Amino acid sequence: MLERPITRHGAVSALLPLVVEDLVFEAGGRRLIDGIDLTLEAGRRSVILGPNGSGKSLFLRLIHGLIPPTSGRIAWNGRPPGREVRLSQAMVFQQPVLLRRSVAANIDYALAAHGFDKAARRARTEQMLIEAGLEHLARQPARRLSGGEQQRLALARALAVEPDVLLLDEPTSSLDPHATLRIEMLIARAAQEGVRIVLVTHDIGQARRFADEVVFLHRGRIAEHAPAEVFFDEPGSEAARSFLAGELVL
Amino acid sequence: MRLALLTLALAAAAFAGAACAADRYIVVQSTTSTQNSGLLDYLLPIFTAKTGIEVRVVAVGTGQAIKNAANGDGDVLLVHAKAAEEKFVAEGFGVKRFDLMYNDFVIVGPPADPAGVEGSTDVVAALQKIAETSAPFASRADDSGTHKAEMKLWKEAGIDPTAASGGWYRETGSGMGQTLNTGIGMGAYVLTDRATWVAFGNKGDYGIAVEGDARLFNQYGVILVNKDKLANVKADLGQAFVDWLISKEGQDAIAGFEVEGQQLFFPNAKGE
Repeated sequence: MLERPITRHGAVSALLPLVVEDLVFEAGGRRLIDGIDLTLEAGRRSVILGPNGSGKSLFLRLIHGLIPPTSGRIAWNGRPPGREVRLSQAMVFQQPVLLRRSVAANIDYALAAHGFDKAARRARTEQMLIEAGLEHLARQPARRLSGGEQQRLALARALAVEPDVLLLDEPTSSLDPHATLRIEMLIARAAQEGVRIVLVTHDIGQARRFADEVVFLHRGRIAEHAPAEVFFDEPGSEAARSFLAGELVL
Repeated sequence: MRLALLTLALAAAAFAGAACAADRYIVVQSTTSTQNSGLLDYLLPIFTAKTGIEVRVVAVGTGQAIKNAANGDGDVLLVHAKAAEEKFVAEGFGVKRFDLMYNDFVIVGPPADPAGVEGSTDVVAALQKIAETSAPFASRADDSGTHKAEMKLWKEAGIDPTAASGGWYRETGSGMGQTLNTGIGMGAYVLTDRATWVAFGNKGDYGIAVEGDARLFNQYGVILVNKDKLANVKADLGQAFVDWLISKEGQDAIAGFEVEGQQLFFPNAKGE
């Protein structure tokens, strides 16, 4: 297991809080993110929940700094999302993006890009492959793995570089329950070790299993932001009530 | 928007029979901190028992609550950001703003009281003394509402504490509980909201050093969303809720909410 009292990048949650003010993103004349205000504190597992098209994935990309907003402010403990902030973060996508090389080399490449020396890379790669249950596949071409194995590799690669914050975009939406469970266990362990988790999902069950707090997005706005027990027991907004009742929220 | 929420025809048909009773509810846009205080869990059943009106509270950040209300996603707005609330009314989104109640911040400190501020009711003078004596002060420094309130008070005191960052001024970059823990560990003064302090389990030998200055008050307002601007608003039910909150009965109920035997919210509606 990782030890994480202090990360390579300094104190625990040097990146928190995340403060988002009046965030707007427009594309093709449509306002896809419509004035979001949000503060995420350290030490919680946040789930960004909402129907398809509510702007969840887009919001995650904006706070990670992958795309610039139309207007508004994003600050990770006072710093804008940029290369320096991104080095302390890792993101895992719905469809894993793997390099055309071996399983072990995928992790080694990420470690090298983050400046780990050769000996550290070897030890860390081995450790992460064991944690992800992929050690027997270390020399296989990454792209020949099953969908679940590919996502475990993507997650192991993300965690290898000791991020302070892990951003997950629907990481299990194309996986079966067994593969989903293994991914969720890896994420839960990272959270226990102090990695700040922000998970985007439209899966209510996953949100219930995982969330300390829920940010419910609807039509590019935050319809509700509450501790998980409050959100699931007594949602106040119409959108969240309909969504949790299993109705089609458009 | 409510109209935009399309639900399956089947589900709609199933619930149609109960539509009358189920319509007797309002949506209140409020803040996470208000909801977390436990006040609303205490107040709302009293109102519902009296009127039969269910109150659904949406918790979001302050700015988001105001935006959501302006977007028609609520009947009543209950937040603590007076300037923004007045703007909301001026732009026609709200009918009228009423003062409702306040809670407050306090400065807690060690029994040795190195800055000699204990018992003070002048927060600005107290901060000046803390700076003059270089007594340790722990700040959340996390851009939160509490941190913003603290920085405003330093500004009034004519002091830039961040110039002493790492010296007597310690920036924790963390939440209220963590900052209290850290501050108490290093013998520092800490500005905290009273609700967190009352519920805080690790006070050690610390006590409240400064309280009672009006500049430490956090004023809440309540506003009915304007039906003329947003046609979905349940104006009658929302008005009933606003009227009750600012009535003697509602104000007494607010004063009756206690945590650990302490009153946390002080009603100050001016009445009709």
